[in-house]
Amino acid sequence: MELANDWMNAAHSTGTSIMAATFDGGVVVGADSRTTTGAYIANRVTDKLTKVTDHIYCCRSGSAADTQAIADIVGYHLEFHSMELGEEPLVEVGANVFKELCYNYRDSLSAGILVAGWDKKHGGQIYSIPIGGMCVKQSVSIGGSGSSYVYGYVDSNYKLNMTKDECVKFVITTLALAMSRDGSSGGVVRVGIITEKGVERKVVLGDELPKFFEE
Amino acid sequence: MSLVVKPNFPDYQTAPVQRGFNPYADNGGSVVAIAGDDFVIIGADTRLSAGFSIYTREQNKLFPLSSTTVLGCSGCWCDTLTLTRILKSRMQMYQQEHNKTMSTTACAQMLSTMLYYKRFFPYYISNVLVGLDNDGKGVVYSYDPIGHCEKRTHRAGGSAGALLQPLLDNQIGKKNMLNVKEEPVSQQRALSIIKDVFISAAERDIYTGDSILINIITKDGIKEETFQLRKD
Amino acid sequence: MSSILCPEIPSPGFSFENCRRNAMLEVKGHAMPKAQKTGTTIVGIIYKDGVILGADTRATEDTTVADKNCEKIHYLAPNMYCCGAGTAADTEMTTQMVASQLELHRLYTNRVVRVATANQMLKQYLFRYQGYIGAALVLGGVDSTGPNLYCIYPHGSTDKLPYTTMGSGSLAAMAVFESRWKPDLEEAEGIKLVRDAIAAGIFNDLGSGSNVDVCVIKKGSVDYKRTYDEANIKGQKQNSYKYPRGVTDVLSTKVVDIEEVSVRVIGAPEDMEIA
Repeated sequence: MELANDWMNAAHSTGTSIMAATFDGGVVVGADSRTTTGAYIANRVTDKLTKVTDHIYCCRSGSAADTQAIADIVGYHLEFHSMELGEEPLVEVGANVFKELCYNYRDSLSAGILVAGWDKKHGGQIYSIPIGGMCVKQSVSIGGSGSSYVYGYVDSNYKLNMTKDECVKFVITTLALAMSRDGSSGGVVRVGIITEKGVERKVVLGDELPKFFEE
Repeated sequence: MSLVVKPNFPDYQTAPVQRGFNPYADNGGSVVAIAGDDFVIIGADTRLSAGFSIYTREQNKLFPLSSTTVLGCSGCWCDTLTLTRILKSRMQMYQQEHNKTMSTTACAQMLSTMLYYKRFFPYYISNVLVGLDNDGKGVVYSYDPIGHCEKRTHRAGGSAGALLQPLLDNQIGKKNMLNVKEEPVSQQRALSIIKDVFISAAERDIYTGDSILINIITKDGIKEETFQLRKD
Repeated sequence: MSSILCPEIPSPGFSFENCRRNAMLEVKGHAMPKAQKTGTTIVGIIYKDGVILGADTRATEDTTVADKNCEKIHYLAPNMYCCGAGTAADTEMTTQMVASQLELHRLYTNRVVRVATANQMLKQYLFRYQGYIGAALVLGGVDSTGPNLYCIYPHGSTDKLPYTTMGSGSLAAMAVFESRWKPDLEEAEGIKLVRDAIAAGIFNDLGSGSNVDVCVIKKGSVDYKRTYDEANIKGQKQNSYKYPRGVTDVLSTKVVDIEEVSVRVIGAPEDMEIA
């Protein structure tokens, strides 16, 4: 009977398209902006690229509540860590804090996270932490429900040591392809470019997205 | 409770899943009927809904079966459509076989058998059948979904039935009162009570509202009337 | 140590002492009593000078209307209010508790508390209870950073948005916002838009009904318009249902004489000795 009431029971989740790609001098993170509750779009301008430190961002997929809570907690730990250290934490460290939480609470969390950032020691890096709490370093990584549609595209088009502009264009195109096929991804494409200088944010609105073959 | 932590990997879950199908819908709505000495009045609200949404605010739920008989239905709307369609053709078959219109009492009996025919897959409807009997007296028949039939002077059925029936018992049946004289209810009073109980039902029942359609059946025929209710 | 005169103060937080018993009873077929849910329409928008919150006033218990004029816009702080949908008790207690924490925070820091602070308190509290506290909230307020509006779900996720809706009527209300909201609305336009969004919920969602409450929060002032609009006028009864004298059965009669009335005069308090 509770037809209209699924907003109460259904957990809020980000059926998502997220990705990150390293380039010469940094890393580009990107995500769509759709948050769904069942069939209803609860937020069409969501920001799934969440700041953890000045040089580390995470792309969130899975339960919105879980990933927001994790990102807040990791942000707290890394802030504390950088105070003790007197310098910015390594991306590797950030990813390990994420992994620790995702692994230890794997029975009660549903979170697939990409951690991306830049540090002095290793430059731009990406760590993928899928459901279950594994942590693996990658040069390019995609995630969320929309990612299954674009593995082939990423494998054939990603190249190491791209320029910044090439990489941004690659991320936007990949996400636009994923969003056009995945029903629970959509809205605008949000992009973040993390380099030594910090983060530069971009938004590609729905009508500005690249077009592909359409019947 | 087990203390062993069992990891849950949804990717590898292979347990069988049983899918269910519910053939019934509850589309709400209420029907109220009051019988007098030479008349009978039946009213039904005009809201058709499901869950938390309204399909229409102007759905007639009263079905005239003959010039002296009217059926009021609420519950599962698709069952109502099926039942009334079959009823209509049964009325026509009777007319053509016997060359006369079926009496209200005969209609009442036929409805009962038609409902019981589907004893194990019932029509999910709260039926109230009203009309004038062979002596011209007003009668109300009320049913359960599987064909139990009861003749009475007043009846409230549907989603607000439980809210309204006690009020009718008190105001029409003069129940729980001392020193009141039993007198037949007048047509004007019956009509105003029907309007008043629907106003109350619309206050407290979310499936009752928008407006009511009233049929007043006398020897002169069926008179229709509408009355507006709150629309939230 | 506890006695009848001095009962022990219960430990803070929830008591789970009946959980096992209730689980056992449920297995034996005694269902838990249903909580009052506010099948609701609640909304919030940001306009030129601040935020406007809106709510309907119907509370339901399954398909019956339990309260025809309940308050769903709760006080959090002098610069902050919060609309609640979901389980009535959860929204009420959660907002009350956070309101007291915010007041302590204000006294401790001697500053106007930020809306982001309230948002963080609410989301952490709701996340801790994993959705079992069924509070869906629209939080709005004005602080040193300007107007802020948040949408908080029972599982503890939040969205920061310029306009938002919640509850069973959220789709009807969002349809109004998606077609008519724009940045920097004037106050009168904003109130009209919020009223229309709530009215859309009231008329098209069966879980919402009765009146429209509106709360306008600006820098330094709050205008809580309780019953801003009566969307529905109650029907006029045609008959009088007054019972004539003597219809009620008197089962037994007992007359008790009042024998004595004792009067004790309490004098004016004496001046306190200071010496």
